Amino acid sequence: MNSVEEKLWNYIDGSCTPEDEKAISLLIEGDEVYRNKYNQLLKLNNEFSVMELDEPSMAFTYNVMAAIGQEHARQPLKAAINTRIIKGIGLFFVVTISVILIFALYKVNWSAGAGVVQVPSQLLPDFKNLLSGPVMKVFLFFDVVLALYLFDTYLRKKGNARAMGSVQTSGQQKEQ
Amino acid sequence: MQSKLSDIELIEQTLAGDQSAYADLVKRHQRFVFTLAMRFAKTREDAEEIAQDCFIKAYRSLDSFQRQSKFTTWLYSIVYTTAMTALRKKRVDTDSIDDENTYIQIENQSSGYDVNNAENKSRSFYLNQAIAQLLPDDAAIITLFYKGEQSLEEIGQALGIEANTVKVKLFRARQRLKERLERNLKHEVNELI
Repeated sequence: MNSVEEKLWNYIDGSCTPEDEKAISLLIEGDEVYRNKYNQLLKLNNEFSVMELDEPSMAFTYNVMAAIGQEHARQPLKAAINTRIIKGIGLFFVVTISVILIFALYKVNWSAGAGVVQVPSQLLPDFKNLLSGPVMKVFLFFDVVLALYLFDTYLRKKGNARAMGSVQTSGQQKEQ
Repeated sequence: MQSKLSDIELIEQTLAGDQSAYADLVKRHQRFVFTLAMRFAKTREDAEEIAQDCFIKAYRSLDSFQRQSKFTTWLYSIVYTTAMTALRKKRVDTDSIDDENTYIQIENQSSGYDVNNAENKSRSFYLNQAIAQLLPDDAAIITLFYKGEQSLEEIGQALGIEANTVKVKLFRARQRLKERLERNLKHEVNELI
């Protein structure tokens, strides 16, 4: 390794110690060989600094954004759903069941006799009223609305994915 | 027209769901990322594929960017890793780029071109040609140092090596580039340096 060149490069880059910097600047001033070498490397350094960057195709940004958009459209349901929502729903059910269980155990008449557990009647829902005509109609109506909503969402997603596909194809054609 | 917002502001907007902010980031850095990819890929098509892949990878993991370093340093580390992976994949099918025969082929190509046309071509052309003849690591370090606005420490972060190692590699890369220029331009080199 050429130590003179290495020292001069460090001097040009400003990566040498203050003592070295002082010593090298004295050498450049006093020694012609050093001065010539320094001037040569400085010129080379200036050439390197003005090197031009390559230019990608005109459609580069467009292609990147189309690929990102397509990735979004293809995103699986598992990744699209916020996991905090799932955890929240899970937590709600766990808390509800725990509260009902604790309340039921608290209300049980333990003195009624071994082997017989009497669940308090106010905890059990009135199934006769639940299955009556109007309640059932409301339930079915809600189901139909929900089904229509989910079907609409599915069709929209399918349409978006198709649109993104055609955008990508036209982008590639444009590039060609 | 490109946005005047900083990289960090554009990242925040992107994370908030504004995809046009990311498009601005891509526009801002695409030339350098593409140039860096060219140092590894050699053909424009492959380089563009690598560069595109890098921006998609960066978008996917944008929320994991810690902001302890410059965005460009983080982005260039993705470029380096992606380009190296692409280069390794290529090596499986073709000859190694470090292979002596490949190197001699490139050398012969370079020595065969007409130096009489030197006056008609720009300095930048010769410089880029000489850089293209370097090994990818050397070419990448020179590009990062001179055009990437990266310090030795930041280049070290991007390449996963120590700053002192970068310093030594940069010195050697510059030596090799100088030799290449001297070999390619012969007597004309005095005009350049």
